[in-house]
Amino acid sequence: MRKKSSIILGVCLLAISMVLGACSNSDNSSSDGSKEITVWAMGEEGKKLSELSKKFEEEHPDIKVNVQAIPWENAHDKLLTAVASQKGPDIVQLGTTWVPEFADAGALLDLSPHLEDYPEFKPDNYFEGAAESMTFNDEVIGVPWYVETRVLYYRTDLLKEAGYEEPPATWDELKEAATTLSDRGDDYYGLDIDQNDQITPFIFAWQNGYEIDAENNNLNFDSPEFREAMNYYHSYFEEGISQTTEGVDMVQAFKDGVKPMFFSGPWMINILNDQAPDLEGKWDVAVMPEKETNKSSIGGSNLSIFHNSENVDESLEFLSYMNEVETQLEWLEISNTLPSRVKAWEDPALSENKMLATFGEQLENTKAAPQLKEFEKIAQELLASIERINVGGADLDKELDDFSKKANEIIED
Amino acid sequence: MKGILKSVSQAKHGLMFIAPAVLILFVFSIVPIIIAFFISFTDLNLKGLADWSNISFIGFENYVELFSDELFHKSIYNTIFYVLIGVPLVIFFSLGIALLLNYGTSKLFTVFRAVYYMPSITNIIAVAVVWGYLYNTEYGLFNYLLSLLSADKIPWLTDPTIAKLSLIILAVWKGIGINMIIFLAALQGIPQSYYEAAKIDGANRFQTLFYVTIPLLRYATFFVTVTTLIGWMQFFEEPFVMTDGGPLDGTISIALFIYKNGFQFSEFGYAAAGSFILFIFIIVTTLVQFKVRKSDTEY
Repeated sequence: MRKKSSIILGVCLLAISMVLGACSNSDNSSSDGSKEITVWAMGEEGKKLSELSKKFEEEHPDIKVNVQAIPWENAHDKLLTAVASQKGPDIVQLGTTWVPEFADAGALLDLSPHLEDYPEFKPDNYFEGAAESMTFNDEVIGVPWYVETRVLYYRTDLLKEAGYEEPPATWDELKEAATTLSDRGDDYYGLDIDQNDQITPFIFAWQNGYEIDAENNNLNFDSPEFREAMNYYHSYFEEGISQTTEGVDMVQAFKDGVKPMFFSGPWMINILNDQAPDLEGKWDVAVMPEKETNKSSIGGSNLSIFHNSENVDESLEFLSYMNEVETQLEWLEISNTLPSRVKAWEDPALSENKMLATFGEQLENTKAAPQLKEFEKIAQELLASIERINVGGADLDKELDDFSKKANEIIED
Repeated sequence: MKGILKSVSQAKHGLMFIAPAVLILFVFSIVPIIIAFFISFTDLNLKGLADWSNISFIGFENYVELFSDELFHKSIYNTIFYVLIGVPLVIFFSLGIALLLNYGTSKLFTVFRAVYYMPSITNIIAVAVVWGYLYNTEYGLFNYLLSLLSADKIPWLTDPTIAKLSLIILAVWKGIGINMIIFLAALQGIPQSYYEAAKIDGANRFQTLFYVTIPLLRYATFFVTVTTLIGWMQFFEEPFVMTDGGPLDGTISIALFIYKNGFQFSEFGYAAAGSFILFIFIIVTTLVQFKVRKSDTEY
């Protein structure tokens, strides 16, 4: 009897250890002496990266690359787990707004000692806004991989019908054109503003000359520039030029002409080409309308090395390869994301494509989201306040006063 | 001491059978609850997670902050709203459907049993996609049907109060199946002799239902009430996949509030404090239910 129960116990233990063993990382050096590096890439990029990593493996036969694709929705949770368990990949792709949070937690390796050995990592190589996201507290914690910026998408034919040959170039022109377009009828709108997008309110504010005073830890949300920009932003909803509810899918609305203008990033080019092929030639992109400036946001993804990677040299090699101008152009072809290297934009693939060239022009004049580890929280608070103003009918000044106070509390903590 | 050893050795087979369940309960429930309790008195965030030396003890600060957090108040209000409307509906419908399905044994009834059980085993993401289309204000099926009756469009998910009700409808639809199965099993466990006795006494159908069937279902009803109530107090999936707490925080529940603070803003200490308050709510309501439950009368 005793024998039986010890067998059962043994089986149980074996089963448990097998389950646990499956969770932990397997040994990362394979039998033939070559090293294996693990890369966590998010979303679409994750699915496509293996095409590029194969080429890297050909050039570096002693390094194996294991790409793990992680959907964006799970990425944040997965990264939290990696930080907590100290078991991360060697290389991780991070959306630029996440960089401060994970850098602050010490999850990313400081690359400064290696900067001289790898000329590809020089900040001058990248767009200014992207280079900003490389450093946190005087440490270099990543290199920009690809960038994105927001521009104005508009229906050329509908604007022409309304009497506008050129896309609106200033705030006043934008407002005027959008008003005319929304006056076409009851269910028509002039400009679509995505109320769930974190960066859009900041884009308006930057265009109006708003700046965060990072040195004095002053968010400046009570400045007149910010207030005025939010007033302008809100006026679109107040006057019915922008739809307050979610409404029809954006592509459909653009196709139907219900929403003839909107702000979005480079991914929308492909989506429109795929989902609305009959619109070809009837739409275009333009740089942001100007107030004080015509700044747009710069986002995208950085590649960083996880702080306890055992294969730092191999990972650096991979990072360097990924950020060569040539690789970036190849990546543009594979994934349709925009290169972070300024030099890559001299290539005809970009400079001669009219739409992409517009993005290139906009990229010259961009700002990155504030490098605060609390950015996510502040941005969510701002979106909630704006929703209360636009949808809930709350008083704009009071809401923004409250928001400014709350935001200051958040960063003081 | 010897007595304990003896009774352990006598019960060792029984203990062996419950050991896996106890072990799992201990590792995945009791230990995390204790850890969460301690975390709720610290300022644990991502930085602390990476390096434990960054964690500091802050006493009741998290709790004090929670009590002045308007969003937390709102999430409590919403959760009570969900529970008060949702739980009675779930019990009413699952009991009702179980009673109806119990009237026959033909193939048709078996098919319907599967039909009503299906929602509770359907993946919530798939449910969210489909119901998202049904609820869409512009081109959703519900509003299309209403437009045939020339009724106004209903902002299913874009008005704070209506959105709460929409989520309740969805959750009731999804929650009926599992409770219906429990009621069905209980119904089939009622000995036929009671019904025969009732018939002889001249009871009509309603009398049989109210004086025989429902009283005899009291164990099942109690079980379903307790588990449904606990489930609804932790209302999470529906607002998480459908509305993410919006519009105007109208659908945020306590569980979603905890999730957002923990995993979106990495404020683990704060989230742990929130989850501990939810834990206390649940314990108290469950204890109250056990207290008010009528003393068992033997039939």
